[in-house]
Amino acid sequence: MSRPLDRRHGLEPLLAELSGSRTADPGASVTIRNDLGHINVRGRAADAGFVQSVEQVLGQALPVKPNTVSLDQHEVFWLGPDEWLIVTPAAAAAELAGRLQKATSDTHASVNDISGGQVVLILQGAKCRDLLAKGCTLDLHPGAFAVGDCAQSGIARANVLLALVDEMPTFMIVIRRSFSDYLCRWLTHAGRDEGIAFKDS
Amino acid sequence: MLLIECPWCGERAETEFSYGGEAGIARPPDPDVLSDAEWADYLFNRSNPRGAHRELWNHAQGCRRWFGVERDTVTYRIAGSFRLSDGSDNREG
Ligand SMILES: [Zn+2]
Repeated sequence: MSRPLDRRHGLEPLLAELSGSRTADPGASVTIRNDLGHINVRGRAADAGFVQSVEQVLGQALPVKPNTVSLDQHEVFWLGPDEWLIVTPAAAAAELAGRLQKATSDTHASVNDISGGQVVLILQGAKCRDLLAKGCTLDLHPGAFAVGDCAQSGIARANVLLALVDEMPTFMIVIRRSFSDYLCRWLTHAGRDEGIAFKDS
Repeated sequence: MLLIECPWCGERAETEFSYGGEAGIARPPDPDVLSDAEWADYLFNRSNPRGAHRELWNHAQGCRRWFGVERDTVTYRIAGSFRLSDGSDNREG
């Protein structure tokens, strides 16, 4: 159980609007994870010292294979050949960012706590691939997008980072906080066929 | 819709990319020694071929890297993509 934040996620008005409506058997559910911290790390994948320092602090691998996520104590997403996103419990994010900063201070690297700017949506359920297909050009067939794969793309034209974290299927969507209301409203509308339910973490 | 191959992410829909014009145009190392005509040539004049064209694209909605594409301006057929560097910096972008 992570510590709730004082920070609002910005989806409170939408949740209030939806509070009366109940979908009997939702084919997709969205859980708003406002209890997570986000750390952006940049550095050279070819710099062994940088990679080693980051991995030592994280206690897990820094994925260098494009469009993969390392799922362990933290979620570590590949964003580019010199860029990663670490998602971790919010309460620990500032301290972790500090340790990463210290560990990489003598290499060409940058560490930024961007928790305030992003929010995570967990999309789960048997029909969520059908739902995503309505607004996303990625091929999300299990044969093309497996557990541990991630991709930056668009859903209904909003920029997102999307990852498959289990075969349920469970998708993790990282989105700019200011776009989350738009995306969730789009999901509400697009998900009428599948049946969609929202919940706060 | 074109499918464009990002050298890092693979084939993605055209909507994820933004166009950056003709590839391979080097900034003159010493602009001060250029005449106005030469400077204007660097800034504005492009080869605009009918056929194979090497051009810059940015994977704007994806990994945000610049890379090159060879595209036929008549058929829109893409012959392939190429990296401008190893991608570990953006200096060539
Ligand atoms: Zn890419």
